[in-house]
Amino acid sequence: MRGIRQVALGIAFSFFVLSLGLVYWQVVKADTLLKHPANRRMILMENRVTRGGIFDRNGEVIAKTQLINGKKVRVYTKGEMYEPALGYSTVKLGASGLEGSLADWLLGLKRPTPTQSVQQLFALPREGDDVVLTLDSRLQSLAFNALKGKMGAVVAIDPRNGEVLALASQPSFEPNNLDQNWNEIRSREKDRPLEPRYSSLYPPGSTMKVVTSAALLRSGVNTTDLYECQGSTIINGQVIREQNDKAHGWVNYNMALAESCNTYFATFGVQAGNEKFLAAVKGFGFGQMVPFELNVPRSSITKAEKIPTTLNTNLLAASTFGQGEVLVTPFQMALITAGIANQGVIMTPHLVERVLDPSQNVIFKQKPQPWLTALSKAEADKITSAMVTAVTDGTAAPGALPNVQVAGKTGSAEPGGDVPTHAWYIAFAPAENPRIAIAVMVENGGTGGGAAAPIARQIIQEALTRK
Amino acid sequence: MILSLTSRVLVLGMMWLGLSLLKWDGAMSPLFWQALIFTAIVLVGSLMEQLFHYQGDPYILPVVQAIMALGLVFVVRVNPGVALHQFWWANIGLLMFYTVLWAIRDYRSFGRFRYIWGLLAVGLLLVTLVFGSEEGGATSSLKFWGFGFQPEEFVKLALLLFMATYLVENEELLRIGTVQWGRFSLPDWRTLGPFMIMVAFVLGLLAAQKSLGTALVFYLLFVLMLYVVTERALYLGISIPIFLLTGTVGYMLFRHVRVRVSVWLDPWQDPTGMGYQIAQSLFAIGGGNILGTGLGNGIGASTVPVAISDFIFSVIAEELGFAGAMAVLVLFLIVVMRAFVVSIRAKDRFGQILAAGIGILLGTETLIILAGVTKLFPLTGLPLPWVSYGGSSLIVHFILLGVLLNISNATATSSHSTKNKGREYAT
Repeated sequence: MRGIRQVALGIAFSFFVLSLGLVYWQVVKADTLLKHPANRRMILMENRVTRGGIFDRNGEVIAKTQLINGKKVRVYTKGEMYEPALGYSTVKLGASGLEGSLADWLLGLKRPTPTQSVQQLFALPREGDDVVLTLDSRLQSLAFNALKGKMGAVVAIDPRNGEVLALASQPSFEPNNLDQNWNEIRSREKDRPLEPRYSSLYPPGSTMKVVTSAALLRSGVNTTDLYECQGSTIINGQVIREQNDKAHGWVNYNMALAESCNTYFATFGVQAGNEKFLAAVKGFGFGQMVPFELNVPRSSITKAEKIPTTLNTNLLAASTFGQGEVLVTPFQMALITAGIANQGVIMTPHLVERVLDPSQNVIFKQKPQPWLTALSKAEADKITSAMVTAVTDGTAAPGALPNVQVAGKTGSAEPGGDVPTHAWYIAFAPAENPRIAIAVMVENGGTGGGAAAPIARQIIQEALTRK
Repeated sequence: MILSLTSRVLVLGMMWLGLSLLKWDGAMSPLFWQALIFTAIVLVGSLMEQLFHYQGDPYILPVVQAIMALGLVFVVRVNPGVALHQFWWANIGLLMFYTVLWAIRDYRSFGRFRYIWGLLAVGLLLVTLVFGSEEGGATSSLKFWGFGFQPEEFVKLALLLFMATYLVENEELLRIGTVQWGRFSLPDWRTLGPFMIMVAFVLGLLAAQKSLGTALVFYLLFVLMLYVVTERALYLGISIPIFLLTGTVGYMLFRHVRVRVSVWLDPWQDPTGMGYQIAQSLFAIGGGNILGTGLGNGIGASTVPVAISDFIFSVIAEELGFAGAMAVLVLFLIVVMRAFVVSIRAKDRFGQILAAGIGILLGTETLIILAGVTKLFPLTGLPLPWVSYGGSSLIVHFILLGVLLNISNATATSSHSTKNKGREYAT
């Protein structure tokens, strides 16, 4: 009987070793296995969830999951209009854009309802939450169509609460049947349809002068004092030129901004000093991550540092009118405009208006929150008045609207090299009680007044006639 | 009585709960009836035990029925389309189990056939090799009227009976030996010859069929049974170099052995190619964590190849988690250990050896396939007894169970009838 006992013991011991093997794979190595690239668990699990719908602020469907021939298909009803901000979600390609960043809502993982958490616990087929965006399809389609054939971006924000009303980028891509078209879309290297241009970095050109204004005003410049613009000036050995070398003659602050006088802003910007200038740009959100549902790169003053501790005089002079090494995203420019419009306070931008669970109960509602205080009310008023002058009597005249006072600023940024300037335009309206702030950028579009302002004008008009 | 019925009701309740949680995909009605028949057989069988005064081991059958119920649930889980067959085989298997348990008056009569069992085993394997069809890399299946039939499962039964007969007959000679060889005394050729020839034939034929898992099970069965009977460490000592030698030769000669080993050493090298099976198995097992994804929620059932037979444990470990997988291990361990208890208690040497052989067979089969799917050992395809899909395996294991409990019952009844005489154990 000794032999049988030993064999029994041996087998029992082997079972014990086997159970240690289970501990190893199911407890010790479980996470490593889950993250292994060949492991399709996450993708297959996501397949069990019906992604929630995405709607615009008026309830129009932007994206929804439909059963087509028994298969779940993500349908983008507005086509390429909302891309690339909206992004995509496919089993093969994963998710990007809002489809990616709002996935926890759309898959019902964030703040799950009791039903959803039980379904999640047992990985049962379940429905995600519906997301209602702040975007307005009418403004979005206007912006998207106005940019057609161009490369550029439009960002429109409600300055009072930070709601993003339009977020367009051209060229765009067709998000339906993406799996089939993916290689073709990716191979378009020249117009890069996957690149969200509202969050690409460009030199801001003269639109930067509204930011420089803050430094000027804080350095005690009297806005009524006159300065003689001679078409160019020399600061610290560096020649500062006007566009087309045009001499603006005797100008005060309002006229300098309206006429977009480079020498005025360079002279008084350098006088104000790099500390005041850097403090001003920081106040407007340069060098900071924007708290937003989508990733927006940080805007920067120099190549080496987003915001340097000091700035030499030559670079400071160029930076005051948005050249030098300054790089801004159109989205950041829209936030700056919204800040001026909202008496100096930049509201936290957001795209999600509310989230509804599968039985259409509101489970999340966005509340407006201030992000930065860029200006005092007095400073904001002074800059606004100058921007109004720019529209009534200055370079921003193509942005003017009948019966509504628009505050605007153009920019024609030199990207370097022998190519047409990037056309910029920022504006908000009505100037006395703004409901919309907008930034338009057209890559190599020429002048801001010519290429960008008319686009903004259409959108502002539409937005204001709505209410 | 109460205990025996309650345990069955519990087991059946678990099965019905499991089945009701699953989607049956239209195959509902026939499956439902088969599950009902299974329920009826289990309950009626339990009553019959009372009626016929079953005195054998009270734990083994309920535990095996629990394993069987779990197996049925998971076969339905992995593929409801073929689960109907499994229910048939389970029902037929249970009936055969009861037939063997009650119809065989004296299991010692098996011993009369001696070498017929051995010849039957070799014959079955030969026929398979010649007429068999290839499935999953191994030539181990015979086709009859559209049904695949796995002769090597039936060989297990024949071989066990041969081994028990042979060992009973030659126990003393094997134990003491008649030929002195250095320090060791070995049995002479006339004693060892038939056994060695059988071993060589069986293992050679299995290797030719590429049924590496079954060959390994049989090798362990031969060695461990020899050790159990003779209690000579010498036999264990000889078996290890022989195993290593044949393993090395096999590794050098056959590509499929080399592939198995290299995939075992590093399945991540090529998790989409050669290592696919084992990698997917580990992804499934790892995804189970402690409590599992829940029945029907795992991905293993669709991602792991042959999830219904060789890899069914991966699906169980995923969906029931570490807790469920451990429960399965413990159930098998109970069956194996109780088989050894039956062996120790048996009154005659043939019964002891046969019961021990059944215990060893169940233990090694379970260990080899489970160690394979958890990458503790190179993967060799084997069905997990009573769980994996497959009629041959189910029926053979139910017959083995019938023999085991027949021995157990006979032991108990004989000790009752001859109260004081049965104290001295055989040998």
